Amino acid sequence: MNYFDTANSNFIFIVCGLAILFVLSQAVVFLVLAWKRGIVLGMSKNTMKSTIKSSAIFSIVPSLPIVLSLMAMVPILGIPFPWLRLSIVGSAPYELISADIGAKSMGVAGLGGEGYTAQVFANSMWVMSIGIIWGLVYCIFFMKKYQKKLRNVKKKDSSWAAILVSALYFGMLSVYIGPPVIEGGLPLITLICGALIMIIITSIIKKTKAEWLSNFSLALSMIGAMAFSVIANFII
Amino acid sequence: MKITDKYANENFNDYIHKMGRIILSCTLIIILLVPTLICLKFDIFPPLKNFFNGFIQVAMVYIPLCIAEFLTFVPMLGSGASYLAFITGNLTNLKIPCASMAVENAGVEPNTDEGDVISMLSVASSSIVTILIIIVGMVALVPLKPILSSEVLKPAFDNILPALFGALGAYWFVKQWKLAIVPVVTSIIFAVIIINILKMEIGSLQGVLIPILGIISVLSARIMYNKGKL
Repeated sequence: MNYFDTANSNFIFIVCGLAILFVLSQAVVFLVLAWKRGIVLGMSKNTMKSTIKSSAIFSIVPSLPIVLSLMAMVPILGIPFPWLRLSIVGSAPYELISADIGAKSMGVAGLGGEGYTAQVFANSMWVMSIGIIWGLVYCIFFMKKYQKKLRNVKKKDSSWAAILVSALYFGMLSVYIGPPVIEGGLPLITLICGALIMIIITSIIKKTKAEWLSNFSLALSMIGAMAFSVIANFII
Repeated sequence: MKITDKYANENFNDYIHKMGRIILSCTLIIILLVPTLICLKFDIFPPLKNFFNGFIQVAMVYIPLCIAEFLTFVPMLGSGASYLAFITGNLTNLKIPCASMAVENAGVEPNTDEGDVISMLSVASSSIVTILIIIVGMVALVPLKPILSSEVLKPAFDNILPALFGALGAYWFVKQWKLAIVPVVTSIIFAVIIINILKMEIGSLQGVLIPILGIISVLSARIMYNKGKL
């Protein structure tokens, strides 16, 4: 039997579907929890609504590359398991690398190659699943302690605590700034374009006091820059 | 305890940690249950030795990397949002940009009670959308494939990170340019070394670079802060 018959079987679809349904329901649980907490804190419903709306709209476009990754994984690992993997912890490059390691440690040359049986597929599955659970493990055991530590830093010196978080955030942002600057070409053009559109939108908001626009500034700048990269690709 | 009590100040923090721990433990069990059930059903358990071989190779990288991610991302998101974000993943390309702009636009301070609420709402809403889009993508895999993987759109998807981080960078760096100088310059130097000198693929190293640049950025901020330059 071809391993694909197993990988695309109804059974795996159902099992993975149920797991995804669980994760989806947890997201809804957190949404409701946060909403109720916001009400108790006396926050405005409109503010909370526009947070939900703008976050949802922003998330559409960055989710599309995940669908592209799914398309890349399906010919190798079938549909349901990659679907599950991409919906919970992990990322496309991680999944493919760890699946490949799973195959190699069974003595098979690589994913989907000769000798890639259902059992090898199972080993890929196990390695992909357990290889990256550590974030969850740390959250379960250390989140409360870590949060307490952070709160102590804030109590001691609240202005430093705010700077500390900004500095961490800026460190992360910077990781993605250096490479396009050095690569040049389309990545650099897109980077600059995203920056310019954001600056323009921000100044429009300041001048016209169109506060509603700020909810969409990130989505608009990102999509605008992506559109420009398509145009620039034709010109260069 | 009355229902509203659990949403009151100190109680809520304990409550969210309790919920977070329960939900994450369930998620862990489910993650392990899926391959277990599949292997039981088809009788395809791999030999333990081979699994262990592969597992060690992956875990050696991800046990330390996940510590760094945990330490870096939790302060940015707050605990409630972190619990969910670590379940659904895609932190740097989705959850953190989304939550940070949401907190800013709501006009609340990050890491306050209100900031945590906005961050949680944002991560939850973003997670739901991503899960739904993947479902749509899976169902419509055949008709969507030629569109999403078309040559015309390829540059757009290839450059989604520069588009996103160009916009985010412009917004935040303009506001707090002093904090940005050191990490941005360091990132450019790293990129020169990795791309031009070592000739390596930088995309695969970004997970490692995030905590490294995080530390450099925090240290430089601390020095400036101590000298009263911020």
